[in-house]
Amino acid sequence: MRIVVAYKYAPDPQEATVASDGTLDFSRAKAIVSDYDAVAIEYGRQLADAQGAALVGVSVGGEAAAKPVATKAALARGLDEVVVVSDPELDGAGSTRTAQAIAAVVKELGDVELVLAGDSSMDVGARMVPSVLAGLLGWPMLSDVEKVTLADGSVSVERLVSEGVQSITAAAPAVVSLTSEAVKTKAPGMKDLLAAGKKPVAVKSLADSGLVAVSEGTVTARAKLDGPARKGVVIDTSDPAAAAAELVNALRAAGVLG
Amino acid sequence: MPFQLTDDQLLTRDSVREFAEAEIAPIAAEIDKNHRPPLESIPKLAEMGLLGMIIPEEYGGTGMDTVSYVIAIEELSRVCATHGVLAEAHSSLCTWPIVNYGNAEQKQKYLPDLANGNAIGAFGLTEPNAGSDAGSTSTTAVRDGDEFVLNGQKIFITNGGFAKTFVIIARSTDAPGAKGLSAFIVERDTAGFQVLEPEQKMGIRGSSTTPLAFSDCRIPAANLLGNQGEGFKIAMQILDGGRTGIAAQALGIAQGAFEAACKYAKERVQFGKPLAALQAIQWMIADMAVDIEAGRALVYQAADTEDRHEPHSQASAMAKLFCGEMATRVTGKAIQIHGGVGYTEAYPVERMYRDAKITEIYEGTSEIQRLVISRNYLR
Ligand SMILES: Cc1cc2nc3c(=O)[nH]c(=O)nc-3n(C[C@H](O)[C@H](O)[C@H](O)COP(=O)(O)OP(=O)(O)OC[C@H]3O[C@@H](n4cnc5c(N)ncnc54)[C@H](O)[C@@H]3O)c2cc1C
Repeated sequence: MRIVVAYKYAPDPQEATVASDGTLDFSRAKAIVSDYDAVAIEYGRQLADAQGAALVGVSVGGEAAAKPVATKAALARGLDEVVVVSDPELDGAGSTRTAQAIAAVVKELGDVELVLAGDSSMDVGARMVPSVLAGLLGWPMLSDVEKVTLADGSVSVERLVSEGVQSITAAAPAVVSLTSEAVKTKAPGMKDLLAAGKKPVAVKSLADSGLVAVSEGTVTARAKLDGPARKGVVIDTSDPAAAAAELVNALRAAGVLG
Repeated sequence: MPFQLTDDQLLTRDSVREFAEAEIAPIAAEIDKNHRPPLESIPKLAEMGLLGMIIPEEYGGTGMDTVSYVIAIEELSRVCATHGVLAEAHSSLCTWPIVNYGNAEQKQKYLPDLANGNAIGAFGLTEPNAGSDAGSTSTTAVRDGDEFVLNGQKIFITNGGFAKTFVIIARSTDAPGAKGLSAFIVERDTAGFQVLEPEQKMGIRGSSTTPLAFSDCRIPAANLLGNQGEGFKIAMQILDGGRTGIAAQALGIAQGAFEAACKYAKERVQFGKPLAALQAIQWMIADMAVDIEAGRALVYQAADTEDRHEPHSQASAMAKLFCGEMATRVTGKAIQIHGGVGYTEAYPVERMYRDAKITEIYEGTSEIQRLVISRNYLR
């Protein structure tokens, strides 16, 4: 049995800067295994150990995603092997093409009982890939999951919903996206780093993965970010009471508060 | 020579940083305030593999290169210099001589426990009357049948309070000065060996720094490390490597203070704009950045020289001298950028400033590094 973890090698938002128009500039941010996907890898490792399953990472991206530093970083977190669909054309690919590429790998691998994904991608945050992937595979899709149990061809999950916890059982195989708190991640140790260098990595291009590079669809309208550009007012908080008063005054002056 | 880190070295940095931020940073201020050795961190450091980085895989370590090792010390010290020196003294000062001078039995007996954290290592060279002048060591080790009998006192021994395995330099032959010294492995629970009360220090307050007393302390003759009379040579080689480790500690302290200063400069507003908009502050930030990068180049260069098995005492002395003084400069500027709050315990830079100072003193003072360096040019 295989458990797949779909992970993204993406620029770290903590290193992004906010441009004056409110958009994020990732150009100087270092790429890492997305924090949310690190949760999925850690969770997947525990499930795979309990099930005696192999844990396979699948990543889709441009050339950077297939570099040894990228695959080792993911393997060191506990994957047994990784398959990367890497193509210059997939650099910055949207949800549709990303999910298509993952679906192609999952079908080719075979014997996959579960695909785990993180809560969202760290850089884009659209939360679309797992759903599109489940649609393409024709499998159930369970989101916002805190706990997964695999048994007798079914997947039981506990979902975190606004009213509380919802328990659902679906037929396996399924696609599950985990909350960012589903498990606490740990930094890979030195032995994990050494072991990572010895684990198998398969790199596929768009052509090898048998994918048709469909377009992401047509952009019909673009919306500007909501509201006026930031004013960049910075309030010194060393004296909290004075800072609160200054904030209230600023909001009044801007007509936000009456 | 431009220095390019390998993938493994880059990943080592990422992993140790992630670990240090999650597990070490949250206790750094508290262990400093309470002068408390962070014993709870030892199993965590061991699990991360940070106690066995220079121990070969066959003895339970990961046998990593020196550059990766100093990156790990740098990253621990970036959030807490006490943890940096705990791992550094354990590895560079105790583990290193056993790996490099131990015989097969000694390696088998001591290295696995040093790698897995069951034993922490310490190194005893300094004595009340032998500091910079290590050749004046007066602790004696007298051969008696199958044993050596140790008598004397050591001071300022890092990790003394909890270490189980000590590498001790003592006088064992009649040869004068440095030639009469040998290195020994001494286990903590040996009769006649006592660890005395820890020092109350200005910085690295969580680090345990203790005197050691030997009073007719009998150890098996098999615990002689290397040959009789090799003690001074072994001690100097230990310090050649250790100095790169302390340089990395200093570098990490400076890096931590620098990041804190940048953050504060962007947040704190005076005269209607963030400090970061003031040229006086920008210039300090620029000088700190250059200082740190120069230090980093020297540290990695020294570690890489060791990895290439080339003589590295010059490179490590330069790295230690520069980084020790650099860390004091940079942490001082970091306080200056913070103004009054930087002088209080509310911000980490006052701790970093106190921690930085020791890197100009232990494993050879800055003056001794200058001696080592100048000797090479004035022969
Ligand atoms: C916190 C801490 C931890 C330590 N950990 C260890 C440890 O784990 N193991 C260990 O063995 N030791 C350890 N030491 C000891 C440390 O290495 C010594 O303190 C250091 O080498 C200096 O020796 P000293 O204190 O005797 O100073 P001294 O040698 O008395 O020096 C005093 C001053 O004179 C200067 N000086 C001395 N000789 C010369 C010279 N020839 N030329 C120019 N200037 C000179 C020095 O640079 C210094 O400025 C530790 C010390 C401290 C404070």
